[in-house]
Amino acid sequence: MNLLAQVDPKTFWNAPNSSAELYVKLSLALLFGIGLAIGLMFAPPQMRKMVIFTVTFVSGLFYVLFWLFPAPINRQPSDAPRGPIEGLSFWISDSQSVVASLTNVISGFLIGLGIYSLLRVHLGKIAKQQKDWFFSAVLVTCLCLMVFFGYADWKQRLDPQNFILADPKNWGFINYGRDLLFDGLLQNMDAGMFSIVAFYIMSAAYRAFRARSVEATILLVTALIVILSLMGVVELMWGGVMDGISKENDGLKALAES
Amino acid sequence: MGQQYIDTGWFMMLLTLTMVGFILFNISRAHGGKDLYIRRISGLNAIDEAVGRATEMGRPVVMVPGLSDTTVNAKTMQAINIFGYVSRVAARFGNPILVCCYNASTYTVAQEIIRDVYQQEGLGDQFDVDSVRFVSDRQFAFAAGVSGLILREKAAATFFMGEFYAESLILAETANSVGAIQVASSTELTQTPFFIAACDYVLIGDEFYAASAFLTRQPVLVGSLIGQDWCKLAIIGLVLCGATMNTIQQRGTVNEERKDGKVVPLPQPRAMLAKDTLFSHLLKPDLEKKPIIDPPRPQLAKEDMPSSAGGDSK
Repeated sequence: MNLLAQVDPKTFWNAPNSSAELYVKLSLALLFGIGLAIGLMFAPPQMRKMVIFTVTFVSGLFYVLFWLFPAPINRQPSDAPRGPIEGLSFWISDSQSVVASLTNVISGFLIGLGIYSLLRVHLGKIAKQQKDWFFSAVLVTCLCLMVFFGYADWKQRLDPQNFILADPKNWGFINYGRDLLFDGLLQNMDAGMFSIVAFYIMSAAYRAFRARSVEATILLVTALIVILSLMGVVELMWGGVMDGISKENDGLKALAES
Repeated sequence: MGQQYIDTGWFMMLLTLTMVGFILFNISRAHGGKDLYIRRISGLNAIDEAVGRATEMGRPVVMVPGLSDTTVNAKTMQAINIFGYVSRVAARFGNPILVCCYNASTYTVAQEIIRDVYQQEGLGDQFDVDSVRFVSDRQFAFAAGVSGLILREKAAATFFMGEFYAESLILAETANSVGAIQVASSTELTQTPFFIAACDYVLIGDEFYAASAFLTRQPVLVGSLIGQDWCKLAIIGLVLCGATMNTIQQRGTVNEERKDGKVVPLPQPRAMLAKDTLFSHLLKPDLEKKPIIDPPRPQLAKEDMPSSAGGDSK
């Protein structure tokens, strides 16, 4: 409830903690949101599009103004604007954090939508025992386990009394479970997927660098020079030579200048 | 206020307005029915061929609008616009599609756009809501998920467009292993070579952003594309002009210089420096100008001050 009220400096967007103004603003926003959602559900598609376009345009316009409108320079928290233009500039700069918070709230709801999409596809597959339904079962099980252990571990660590959890010696079943799933499995599988890139680079390079035409041969030779230049042994051998040539040139230059 | 813009000088203001003018003029030309030329982009011409092949083989077309952060950005939107066209072609052929999304916001936007495409084609009942899927918002989990889908569904055509990073080659090589026709484009310069090595067609650089104009031929898009090309030509011209003039001018000497906006004679001539050249004066006119100090701002009343400035706490 106090999320928006923590915005500082004071703007139209916030209100004192636990004040009537805060609750009035929150209730109005909630009513407006519910009204808008119901209105959109029953609105004809053409009008719905219009509302969505308007909201999108206004949201985009805010960030266009935020990036392009001259920002207040050397502003102190106690400063008042010198005029209406600077007033707008102050308003944009103050509102940005609130708009960013709104974006985060929307992103939070969207995660729910994403999980809904995943579950609908995969639970449907499991229920109908479609082809490869076993993989869907693995996915749903992993999702549930990760959510359970991740949330329970996070909840435990939120409590300041549980600072002792920083030391693995004090871990319990939940903490070991999260560690096994996140650090033991997920991170390593991520690293494993990343490592596979090495093999894919090799197979892609094999197809791309075959000397089948003049252009492909030029590409092959260029790639070879670049690859060789990055090899430590070659750099050790040729680095000295190149330095020598460069120093020789410096000497000649100095001679010419003298 | 606004001094930041005025400080850039009349030339930069004129240049900015000229560029805006180029774009507006070309949009009006396109609206007027003038057939503006956009060169052929082979990757986009291959869309019909790729979807046709998928139809013949009875396999799905897989589309990936890249990785973006938690929100839908311009690159993702551009990719989804192109996929809208691909979906339209697929809908006409009655071919299944699969759109794999990296984040939930992309998923919702893509689903709505593709549903719209099917409805516009009068095939709303054939749209499968599960054809647009959220896969994962972890980079390599996403790569593994999409690779698995490509392998299991044996995709006949794949379209990778948008922001791609290390997973680009994993996706492209997996699709190659099942013999899919691949059209790709990455806004990340470092990933484009990987796509070139592994895919059949690649949209390079601006071709990705030109795709919507090329596919839809909407006057606003075509006009702004041509207008931006004019802007690029103007910038190239300025760079060439500037380099040539600076090279020629710096061979000479100067016997006066500008100080605080006034031209004053020098005690003795000296070699011309980069800051004395015409282009330097045009592009950086206020290098030696005294800054304008604005008057101090009034202070907020105590009750309006934020707590960090010693105001009443809320």
